Amino acid sequence: MLFQFQSNGSSSKPGFSFTNLLIKNLLRLMALNFNLRPGLNKYLKSVDGWMNFSANLRTENNSLNASIVFKDGKAFVPSIAPDPCDISLIFRDDKTVRKLLGSTPTEQIFMLLKSELRTQGNQTYLNLLFFYLNLLLKKKAYKLLEKEKQASAKQAKELVPDSKPELSQALLDRKNHRIKGKKVDPGVRFLDDPYLSQYSLSDFPRLAKFLDIHFTQKGEICPERPKILTDWFKEHGFEKDASGNDWIPELRQGLAFKHLMENRKPIIRKDDLLAGTSTTKEVGVIVYPDAHGAMLWGELYTVPHRSLNPYDVSEDTVRLLHHEVFPYFIHRNFKEWVRYNYQSPLCQAIDERYAVYFIFKQAALSHTIPDFPKILSMGASGVIAEIKGKLSREGLSEREKGLLEGMIHSMEGMIVYSKKLSAQAAEEARRETDPKRKAELETIAQACAQVIENPARNLDEAVNAVWITWVGMHMENTNAGLSMGRLDQWLQPYYEADLEKISDEKERKAYIKHAIELVGCLFMRCTDHLPLTPDLANWYFGGSSSDQAITLGGVTPEGEDAVNDMTYIFLKVTEMLGIRDPNVNARYNREKNSDAYLKRLCEVNLITAATPSLHSDQAVIESLKEFNYAQEDLNNWSATGCVEPTLSGRHIGHTNFQMMNMVAALEMALNNGLHPLMNWRLGPETGEPAQGAFKTFDDFFEAFTEQFAFLIDQSVEYNNLMGLAHQAIRPTPFLSSLIDDCISTATDVTHGGARYNSSGAACIGLADVTDSLMAIKKLVYDDKSVSFADLKKAVADNFQSEPALHALITHKVPLFGSGSEEAVEMANRVAKFAHDHYGTHTNYRGGKYTVGFWSMSNHVIYGTLSGALPSGKLEGKPFTPGLTPQPIASPNLLDNIRDVARLSPKYITNNIAFNVKIVPGPNDTHEQTVDNMFSYVKTYFDLGGMQMQLNAVTSETLKDAMANPENYRNLLVRISGYNAYFITLNRDMQLELIERAQYGL
Amino acid sequence: MKEPLILDIKGNSLDDGPGIRSVVFFKGCPLSCMWCHNPESKRRELELSYDPKDCVHCDTCMEICPEKALSPDNPFFIDREKCALCMQCIEACPSGALSRVGKVMEIDAIVREVARDKPFFKTSGGGVTLSGGEPTLSMDYLSRLVQAFREQEIHVLVETCGMFRMEDFLEKIYRHIDAIYMDIKIMDKADHQEYCGTSNEVILKNFKALNKLYQEGGVEILPRTPLIPGITDSDENMRAVVAFLQECGVKKADVLPYHPLWQEKNFKIGVKDSRGDAPAMQSFLDKNRLQACREAFLAAGIQLG
Repeated sequence: MLFQFQSNGSSSKPGFSFTNLLIKNLLRLMALNFNLRPGLNKYLKSVDGWMNFSANLRTENNSLNASIVFKDGKAFVPSIAPDPCDISLIFRDDKTVRKLLGSTPTEQIFMLLKSELRTQGNQTYLNLLFFYLNLLLKKKAYKLLEKEKQASAKQAKELVPDSKPELSQALLDRKNHRIKGKKVDPGVRFLDDPYLSQYSLSDFPRLAKFLDIHFTQKGEICPERPKILTDWFKEHGFEKDASGNDWIPELRQGLAFKHLMENRKPIIRKDDLLAGTSTTKEVGVIVYPDAHGAMLWGELYTVPHRSLNPYDVSEDTVRLLHHEVFPYFIHRNFKEWVRYNYQSPLCQAIDERYAVYFIFKQAALSHTIPDFPKILSMGASGVIAEIKGKLSREGLSEREKGLLEGMIHSMEGMIVYSKKLSAQAAEEARRETDPKRKAELETIAQACAQVIENPARNLDEAVNAVWITWVGMHMENTNAGLSMGRLDQWLQPYYEADLEKISDEKERKAYIKHAIELVGCLFMRCTDHLPLTPDLANWYFGGSSSDQAITLGGVTPEGEDAVNDMTYIFLKVTEMLGIRDPNVNARYNREKNSDAYLKRLCEVNLITAATPSLHSDQAVIESLKEFNYAQEDLNNWSATGCVEPTLSGRHIGHTNFQMMNMVAALEMALNNGLHPLMNWRLGPETGEPAQGAFKTFDDFFEAFTEQFAFLIDQSVEYNNLMGLAHQAIRPTPFLSSLIDDCISTATDVTHGGARYNSSGAACIGLADVTDSLMAIKKLVYDDKSVSFADLKKAVADNFQSEPALHALITHKVPLFGSGSEEAVEMANRVAKFAHDHYGTHTNYRGGKYTVGFWSMSNHVIYGTLSGALPSGKLEGKPFTPGLTPQPIASPNLLDNIRDVARLSPKYITNNIAFNVKIVPGPNDTHEQTVDNMFSYVKTYFDLGGMQMQLNAVTSETLKDAMANPENYRNLLVRISGYNAYFITLNRDMQLELIERAQYGL
Repeated sequence: MKEPLILDIKGNSLDDGPGIRSVVFFKGCPLSCMWCHNPESKRRELELSYDPKDCVHCDTCMEICPEKALSPDNPFFIDREKCALCMQCIEACPSGALSRVGKVMEIDAIVREVARDKPFFKTSGGGVTLSGGEPTLSMDYLSRLVQAFREQEIHVLVETCGMFRMEDFLEKIYRHIDAIYMDIKIMDKADHQEYCGTSNEVILKNFKALNKLYQEGGVEILPRTPLIPGITDSDENMRAVVAFLQECGVKKADVLPYHPLWQEKNFKIGVKDSRGDAPAMQSFLDKNRLQACREAFLAAGIQLG
């Protein structure tokens, strides 16, 4: 059944078509070039020898079947293809092959996404093949990319011909209105105006300069990490050590990490108050070749020229990655490890067709919150002492000892790195002539001499320790969703202790200003690295940074009001900088937190247009009740990556193990198990609706759940296999040393060493699925106003010949968000099924599966890869973001708010993303607007709502930004869980934001 | 007297009184202001509305109409002479292009719908606004309604044109409400007659009486003046309105700038008023004019809301 396409009518004989001839000749030409031109031939060799592989191009019916083989420095086209080839590229038909030859890079991506072609075999070789193609054709590729860029700018200009500078100005002006706060929160000790309304960015020239760099500096691929690690692995072995024994992976990773930290360049960014960088570039792209790093192999030449989020890459870096790094990891990465060890399982093949689900572990297992309080209060030396204590116990296995030793090595590496930073700062201080900067550098030198080795003694040391730890985390683990947690809680003690030593009022003021600047530096440091995004991923996670969530407010582990001075200092920094990452999330506890605090959250949201994201403590904590977590740990939850809850410092929740397209299950139920876009009869045969397979609506609902269960089971299986890949390839002893109870159980986080374990899904399309089911129920079964066959026909035809039916659905079917009890029940029914079925599974770490309803930006691409739906959604149009109701559900925002609030938190164990686009009234004052926002948010939480994210910007402004990006470099928008700069988004995502319902204030 | 028809209950209004409010629109008004922003609320009787924007041209309605009153050849699609208001077309219309204007509603049903928003009223200091049309046209019905809201502890604001019998208002409504918005549109009697269809004597008298009660500690009343280009926004009318308000000792008022969106609503119910064709009536009130009108109030020491 696997890979069987329905016949498409082509009847060419195998291997005899014109296309076959054409491709074979092109491949021969390619081989000839590589054989005869020494400048090209040298690329066939890595530092470890010739790169030998075979690649096959064929059509589903074999009308094309051509291969190219690279062997010992020669390329040739064999008359009979080797079987199997290392990588096969399989086209739907001859037409698709010819289409590919004339298409632009973006069109090529969409051919892959839309299943016009698919791959089989080791994808790293595919990337290598594309690298070779680009070596030959890069000039043509640049031209095409440039053409694409110009066409897209032209389209945007056509959409909005006139520039409206007053709109961009209005956004800037928001920063000038600031409410003065009152000191009402019991935890606020030293701030008379907790809103810190007297300060603006102009008071912090250092931050203003960093911000300017952030918006103007193009990222560059940094080879430092992969180069140092690859050299170490080559010397010491990966599977087996130098003496031929199997490595204990934890020990290997600990030693390699130590080597990396010892050999990295200690850099202090000009004028920064914090030492250390995650790359050697001003803004660097970190490469993780053991994860998805080699996905960039084929794009190394084009990545600086692409329209979406281009990076620079130097010729040296290309050579280094191509000859030294990527070849070593062709088989040593998560995805290929699973393919090899589990013989290309079906669950992997589904993932690689792009339309159904995406398993994040191919890139990362890093959505968690390390125990910062531990490293701050004990220092690395304290942690090492704890590990040594455990090591001295009897009865440990070799494996356990290996992990504990690996942890010690990684901590030692951290100490060396911070000492090198200290020395670097001291050296720069010696050379510095400006006395102010000299003093700053001396403070840094002192701080880094103390931390990370020893406990932090003041706020400067604490923030430096947080940052250095953060650099280490990202050297070990992919920068994807690794999050910082409750920094307001964890830094407040240092801030208070510092202030208690100051009695002079003026000095106290100066200190507070310094604290703001320090936190501002931390925020800006977090922008020093970018995720490695292959161009295809620009369509899945467009404009996303690595989503380093910070969480503010809420309650203390003991359950008391946690809002403190640092909460407001973090909010001030969030307001002034307005950057996408760190992704600021705010907890609001209805019983403990003040109105003044919630109002401030709304004000910051208005000024920045998009952040922070707002959470109800009560709803989130309620949703996690079933897992029997300790109450003080529940009280200590933090948002991770986008919005998802993790119990800080002791929980591996891999809260974004997956993006799941629920609509795919619906489409399969509508088509008896066949997925229409992939044309793949993938799911169980649950019956053909047009032939009366479903007597009642419940029968159909069951078919939907059967398909959904099938997809859940497959995705969970892939996740569990990927988990094993992480155990073999990249356990994380450094992270493990900062997650309870990995030390005491001598178990790495990848093996379930954390006290709490789970895996979290993001289920996409809840509103689209609910509305589709409502339409089927009402029209086909309740009113019997249309037959299932006719509805299916209309859907297949994109409602072209049935505009009246489309109108009927959009006007007369009670949709989710319209205030209909029945639609809310339907949404809860779908959510309950998802929750219960994921709940039947246990992950490879012994944890439960959790379920959330948010979508990052996948609602756009999955919408593009879906047909029309019974909900009235048209072919290729996006789903709604997260679980946000359709704009047509109701003109009344309150209906939306009420319905979303009535979703049962019991079924939502991995949070939601509810987008609301609001527009300040033209005559409203800043205070009135904030008051209105406050009323909506507070009522939503009173009604039981879990999460809400506001975009305070008009569609008109977004359109202006689309056409005139130069005026909007800092226009921040919330996608579904994360923030992005509007102008970095792909066109489909921009249009989705523009078309969202907007509600006036 | 027959029970009034309700046009619509609109939730989440931020412009009809303090906080987040639900607005109940009554059908029928003793005035007939030519610029009325809700022209479908002028007549008391049930009407049929046709919105060409929503129509998908499936022609279902034309086939179903027993009177053959629907045709694209009619200037407003509906031949209102022929239409017997049987409303079969509304049931059949898939897109909602054809819709019913006005429905009988039980007091309980209205209160139930509005009360769903109580949590929003609570956090925002909002409530219900009774508007129209003119809610006081059916005093007894209104009286029962405002008392029912009171029982639910919902803040009640009445928006009125001021054209009612004061005795009835005081007896049946006044004690049960929290605020009144009353329009003071045109001071010149003849102009008022021409543009609003009635004289303004009763209105001004009623305003004076209610304002006096307010000054003595009664229900808050806010006078509001719609700014209609070339009609109410003239310097002369502004001077007269401001003088009247000063004379009454008014400290706070509001102005409502003109917008032209009512014109397409007129089309939907088959009404054409050629006075709406004037260029000034086709666009939003000029910003400078708005500022000048505001100044007239502010200069007299009257705050604007």
